[in-house]
Amino acid sequence: MTGYLVAILTFVSLAVLLGFALNVQWGQAGMINFGLAGFYGVGAYTAAILSKHGADGFTATVAAIALTAGLSALASLATLKLREDYLAITTLAFSELVRLVLMNETWLTGGTNGIRDIPRPLIGLIGGERYELFFLLLCLVLVAVTYLVLDRIIRSPFGRALRAVREDDVVAATLGKNVLALRVKAFAIGGAVVGLAGALHAYYFTYIDPGEFAGFVTVYAFMAVIVGGKGSNRGLLLGAFTVMVLLEGTRFLKDFVPFLSAQQAASLRLALIGAGLVLILIFRPDGISSEYRLSIRKPARPELNP
Amino acid sequence: MTQALLNGLVSGLLIALPAIALSLTYGILNFANFSIGAMITVGAYLAYIANASFGAPIMLAAPAAAILLALIAIAIQHGVYRQIRNADHVTLLVASMGVAFVLENVIRFFYGADVRTLDVPVARPLLWNGLRLNHEQLTIAVVALSAMGIVAFILKRTRLGRAMRAISDDPDLAEVRGIGRSRTVDWTWAISGVLTALAGVLIALDGIVDPMIGMNYLVSIFAAAVIGGIGNPFGAVVGALIIGLVEETSALVVSTTYRQGISFVVLILVLLMRPQGLLGTARIRR
Repeated sequence: MTGYLVAILTFVSLAVLLGFALNVQWGQAGMINFGLAGFYGVGAYTAAILSKHGADGFTATVAAIALTAGLSALASLATLKLREDYLAITTLAFSELVRLVLMNETWLTGGTNGIRDIPRPLIGLIGGERYELFFLLLCLVLVAVTYLVLDRIIRSPFGRALRAVREDDVVAATLGKNVLALRVKAFAIGGAVVGLAGALHAYYFTYIDPGEFAGFVTVYAFMAVIVGGKGSNRGLLLGAFTVMVLLEGTRFLKDFVPFLSAQQAASLRLALIGAGLVLILIFRPDGISSEYRLSIRKPARPELNP
Repeated sequence: MTQALLNGLVSGLLIALPAIALSLTYGILNFANFSIGAMITVGAYLAYIANASFGAPIMLAAPAAAILLALIAIAIQHGVYRQIRNADHVTLLVASMGVAFVLENVIRFFYGADVRTLDVPVARPLLWNGLRLNHEQLTIAVVALSAMGIVAFILKRTRLGRAMRAISDDPDLAEVRGIGRSRTVDWTWAISGVLTALAGVLIALDGIVDPMIGMNYLVSIFAAAVIGGIGNPFGAVVGALIIGLVEETSALVVSTTYRQGISFVVLILVLLMRPQGLLGTARIRR
């Protein structure tokens, strides 16, 4: 039972990280990322491949973060002055391309067989027995650090400029903000967080295959963000938890409905998740919590440079 | 090479159907319908059910699938998109992603991931000066061209078409002039449903039926619609032909598994050089 709880909390941490990324890209900057699963896959595979080739966990994770952030920046560059729809299309297409590469470049990615026995970082030091717990703690620490860093970014002038771009890019540009640079940076920051989540995914499961980085990851992450309240990282903690518990809860569906095959139960779960996303958008589009606003912030100390 | 061009033209005509559907709904509702891939899959399965389970000949199964998918599309419009029509278009995009997820997994629930084929007679390909043309390809060309002709006629010559173009140009002005938005939107979804179902049947006819057939075309369809200038149905046809030709001719050099990757590259190149699409007009944003 404890093992199960540890596993669920680890899943929640990964989902929270993905949600953080979406919250920066979509929540703060208004840039939609339908290719989240693809970027997640890039992070996971980079970490896995480098680790298999002898890189230590830290180096491989940093490389995964850097590569995912770089590719995210590139993807957002393609949509210089266009409406959000184009970015949605570009990122979705990117994600499909990643899936194709993962499935077909067998020499690099193992194809549909995936990569197995990914070495876990620090396993020699911790030992296999308590590794799951250690990993959960590591994830929680990383979530906390990411939360603090992102919070800092969101409350900075940079974050304010991002929201200005989201609300009206023409006004932001008129006020002298470099809209393109802001967008690219926001997308890269989000990409970095996705890369981190991907690397953790690879280390946690020690086995990855292309099927794990399909569209459903993107749908989960969007759901977590919308449940939590778009733009709110605090709400997201709750949103990701709710979504993950629902997901894991529906896993027991087939125990109650014995006439369903495993395949049917899986499809039913995914269909319910899609329906859940649509229902939330209809009935509770603002989610549980709302994004940080300057007006609710209590004046803690006087500003030195007004 | 000539063979590749011929194949490209046919596959372009095939992609054109959903690309037109995408452009129509984009023009009227102002959002990109990401569930179009799943709709193609549903169309193919509806035809499969009519054809294989009820024994209807394909000439009957295809129109039945088209009408059913049109009704499903209208139902989704009323059940989902209409409910959130006041939200920004990004919310609509996310909703259409959710709809796609539901559609695709409902299919998987009932039919699993097994590969199926339509029950149609197999015929020898036509040969002409060393060029091969399958009967399936001929069907695709004939059906796609007639469907395009009908859509063009509706858009240019009928009251409904005028209403659609008016709403696409300026929704507020159209409303003031007494054009019923809700009915026009329903009809747009109906046309979109028919076109996507036909595409699904044609894809199934030329190959197999499985839950991924629509998704496999999604990138090509979007690339076609965007290249042609999204929201412009005639541009979508041009875009689709370009995508079809590029995909088939590139197959001579690059592995066919990267067909969608090629569309992606073409899409990015066009977006970088001419963001409004080949036939789109640059708009001054408010």
